[in-house]
Amino acid sequence: MATTEHENDTQVAPATHRRRRGRGRIAATISVIGELLITGGLVLGLFVVYSLWWTNVIADRQAQREGDRVRQHWAQQQAGGGPPGPLDTADGIGFLHVPAMGRNFEVLVKKGTSVDVLNEGVAGYYTDPVKSAMPWDRTGNVTLAAHRDGHGAKFHNIDKIKDGDAIVFETRDTWYVYKVYDILSQTSKYDVHVIDQIPKESGKTKPGRYITLTTCTPVFTSEYRYIVWGELVRTQKADAKRTPPAELG
Amino acid sequence: MYGWIWRHLPGNAWVKAVISLVLVLAIVFVLFQWVFPWAEPLLPFNDVTVNGGGSAG
Repeated sequence: MATTEHENDTQVAPATHRRRRGRGRIAATISVIGELLITGGLVLGLFVVYSLWWTNVIADRQAQREGDRVRQHWAQQQAGGGPPGPLDTADGIGFLHVPAMGRNFEVLVKKGTSVDVLNEGVAGYYTDPVKSAMPWDRTGNVTLAAHRDGHGAKFHNIDKIKDGDAIVFETRDTWYVYKVYDILSQTSKYDVHVIDQIPKESGKTKPGRYITLTTCTPVFTSEYRYIVWGELVRTQKADAKRTPPAELG
Repeated sequence: MYGWIWRHLPGNAWVKAVISLVLVLAIVFVLFQWVFPWAEPLLPFNDVTVNGGGSAG
């Protein structure tokens, strides 16, 4: 029996086999293409996880470390007594507090707005195309940028800021309290005049002590820029215990 | 493709499963560590600054 069956098999085989092998090759190709597409989808999904979550983890960790270092530095200088030495701006010039973006919202401010700086989870002050003023300058506009999403997403809640809200800039010696007076919820990225030393687009014509926050909008994209302008209301000397101003209470 | 890889992994089903897991983790690590950081600045999702030139940010 076995032999006959075998013989039968070999007799039928050539044609069916060829057909089966041909169909098999097409099926295999399609299944490889399908698997590649699935893989591509998974990689894109992972990229979303990476950019909206992992970069935040990395940047927050780094920003925390650098912020601690700046505070330690300040404490050491204070403990050392004597007149305060020249301001060291390499590690960062201070911290930005915006109660409207969260009760304990605090972000380190460093020099420059390059990708490398902003990816550390800090806010950067502009050096280009228009140089930012420093909060302690007699007049000028302190212009800052930070990420809306990913890499710390420090300005994610910038849309929560309303007219009249406080923005506080903390340096080693002083708290600078600004009040928001104008918001531009969408502008072109080529609109570099928003960071002018006298921001005319916000309606100001005279030199004053301004602050400008910029980030991208809408969230998750870089179509446009979101701008918030504030004006200095008052300053408060930082005491040994670093008691925050009433606006942060 | 995945079937081919599975068939060519050594050992029984459990060993294959462990090796597959290690391979997947290795690939995810390579993506997060090198590929995504490289690709990100090339994609237009995170420009936050105003500037005439348009790339920094």
